[in-house]
Amino acid sequence: MNKSLDPRVNRLDLPQGELTPKVPLDQFGTFEVFVQLKEGKGYRHEGSVHAPNIDMAFLFAKEQFSRRLMCAGIFVAETRNVFVTGFTEDKDSIYNHISDDFPEDGEIENYEVFHLNKRGKQHEHIGSVPSKNHQHALAQAKGEFIDGPPVFNIWVIKTADILFTEEEDMIMWNTLHEKKFRDASDYKAADKIKAFKERQQ
Amino acid sequence: MYGGGNTFEPMKATGIENEDPVLLAEFEARIERGEKIEPHDWMPQLYRKQLIRMIEQHAHSEIIGALPEGTWITRAPGFKRKLALMAKVQDEVGHAQLLYSAAETLGKPREQMLDDLVTGKSKYSNIFNYPAFTWADSCFISWLVDAGAIVNQLANARGSYGPYCRALERICAEESFHLKYGHHCVIHLATGTEKQREMMQAAINRWWPPMMHFFGPPDKASVHSEILMRWKVKMSSNDDQRNQFLDMYVPKIWELGFTIPDENLKKNTVTGKWEYTEPDWAEFKRVINGDGPCNAERLAVRRTAEERGRWVRKALLTPKTEYVTPLA
Amino acid sequence: MNTLAVKELLYKMADDQLILGHRNSEWTGFGPLLEEDIAFSSMAQDKVGQSQALYQLLHELGEAEPDTVAFTRNADQFHNSQLVELPNGEYDFSLIRHFLFDTAEALRFEMLTQSSFEPLAKLAKKIQGELRYHTMHANIWIKQLGSATEESIGRLQKSLDEAMPYALGLFENSEFESDLISSGVFAGEEELKSKWLEQVEKIIDQTQLTLPDVLTLTPKTGGRAGIHTEHLQPLLDEMSEVFRIDPTAEW
Repeated sequence: MNKSLDPRVNRLDLPQGELTPKVPLDQFGTFEVFVQLKEGKGYRHEGSVHAPNIDMAFLFAKEQFSRRLMCAGIFVAETRNVFVTGFTEDKDSIYNHISDDFPEDGEIENYEVFHLNKRGKQHEHIGSVPSKNHQHALAQAKGEFIDGPPVFNIWVIKTADILFTEEEDMIMWNTLHEKKFRDASDYKAADKIKAFKERQQ
Repeated sequence: MYGGGNTFEPMKATGIENEDPVLLAEFEARIERGEKIEPHDWMPQLYRKQLIRMIEQHAHSEIIGALPEGTWITRAPGFKRKLALMAKVQDEVGHAQLLYSAAETLGKPREQMLDDLVTGKSKYSNIFNYPAFTWADSCFISWLVDAGAIVNQLANARGSYGPYCRALERICAEESFHLKYGHHCVIHLATGTEKQREMMQAAINRWWPPMMHFFGPPDKASVHSEILMRWKVKMSSNDDQRNQFLDMYVPKIWELGFTIPDENLKKNTVTGKWEYTEPDWAEFKRVINGDGPCNAERLAVRRTAEERGRWVRKALLTPKTEYVTPLA
Repeated sequence: MNTLAVKELLYKMADDQLILGHRNSEWTGFGPLLEEDIAFSSMAQDKVGQSQALYQLLHELGEAEPDTVAFTRNADQFHNSQLVELPNGEYDFSLIRHFLFDTAEALRFEMLTQSSFEPLAKLAKKIQGELRYHTMHANIWIKQLGSATEESIGRLQKSLDEAMPYALGLFENSEFESDLISSGVFAGEEELKSKWLEQVEKIIDQTQLTLPDVLTLTPKTGGRAGIHTEHLQPLLDEMSEVFRIDPTAEW
């Protein structure tokens, strides 16, 4: 291969000749990421990352989903630990379809509840309920939230399955607002254009 | 960043006649109402297939798109540019991550998409097969290629597939930084020394033809594209996007005293459309099929990155986690 | 306060951050997995940003503008440790260097939060969050790869053995060491080094890696005095290639 214009590429020692096929690898697990923009605001689902474990998922989530503007905290949970209900339409809340019955197995612990308030938008954290299992949590959430605006889909995650931002790690976002170089507002140059045009005349 | 062009698979039969007519009607009614389709909703096979293809190409374009500008990442002049270019190229990788996730919700795992990229089975935006000779080329890309991508992405963000729209909203917000940064760089070259102006003019001359290719050849009217428009997979025609781009950016290039290497380029005041020399579509086709100045290098770099990272990924594989498709 | 002593301290820290930030940025787009590519780039940006802040402090003490200082000096005028200028190698070397360097850097800035030189103490406090993420990142990666496969352990061990003498070069004493300590600007390289060793040992002990016996190693020093490996000048030539087309131009 010819010399690259990119000095980094020239240091990579690209293979000569035909490319050999890539060896397939299994994928890592999938983790859902929730971000809190500022203290007092709710956590909102922002997307997912692939990672081999939850600690790394947190590392990855932090830079993929909170490297701009502001952030007060994030949390991550493995996708397969998210209990998902069916979906409803129009004004019909999913809570109308949640059974009050639930299996009795399990010890009481906390479960986090997330609502989809509008189709096409993201799930938002609404609160937590002490329950024995995911179905129980849904039944509990129904009692608490059915009188609110219609909810079209619910996610329930056992609190113990979530990795939260530790109190002492909250300083990690402290300098975010100073990283102006990632922000469109730091690139104003109208005065230069104006001066240039005046020179041209 | 991504343009139009070569996005949709030509298919002899659309296959919709095999779909359940009741479900299909509900699906179309939902789109008609302006609602998003979500991963768990029923969707026609053709819809799924074309979306995977489109989002995957978009994701590949981001990760390959990191390379031409990456050419200058170690040489950006001064702290402000150095930090900005690092952040910008990083964003392109970040966009790829978001888009692969969106495509995964339709059922194709990321590893499989990356395999299809490095084997050349799936495509990416043609423009990234061109070299960035000087710093000014990287400025052209940051400003104008991203501008073109924004035209395309803003249109697609109004599309029907929820996860893709949400990814695009995030991406467009970040691209506004790219666009402003790129314009800022070009303005500085334009209003700087004679040498800087020359560098920038030369970059414009080099990049104009691939920029015109960026939105793809004129769409042929077909049943197929009519369906994709109705399903809000394809949101506007390649020519409309090209025209919108020219309308927004040609005046901005001219105002900086630069010329554009097409003597036929002008806006028809009667039709309101731009007229230009028809781009060389034979070259476009040749480059897309692998014979461009940088195709081999781009794929080899991606391939090498995969290869060199393999021991890392292997060491990270643990029985603790299991791949599932992302939720939304 | 001895201004010369403070300047020397600021220069070596700024140069370390700049050169390593630059090196780490070379990985952008080539990383072993997408998410890590993004994370590693952010940390490189943090480093370059920190170097800029340190050059700004120097500027306030009468040195030239940060851009001029960073983009026009030659290798013999740089005070970075040799550790940071070494080529990236494979990801194992880059990660080990990141771990060894950032552990030291986080501790150095933690010590500097107490500095009698106010502007530096203020900066040190401000960037503690960034450094917390860097060390969290480094520790998690080293623990993971340092106890995973035979290949990953072997690679990390080899890189650790290679990098260690250079890492010890980070703590090369300054001629102003006693000035800095007595004036309360910085508690000194020796104290930093012992804290660093303790922390590095703590993490390495949780892996299948073996920390080389530092007493048997000769630290690769000289960097602080402008003596560098053959890798630094080409790095600087590359970094300033565009800037030097016209250093008076606005880019």
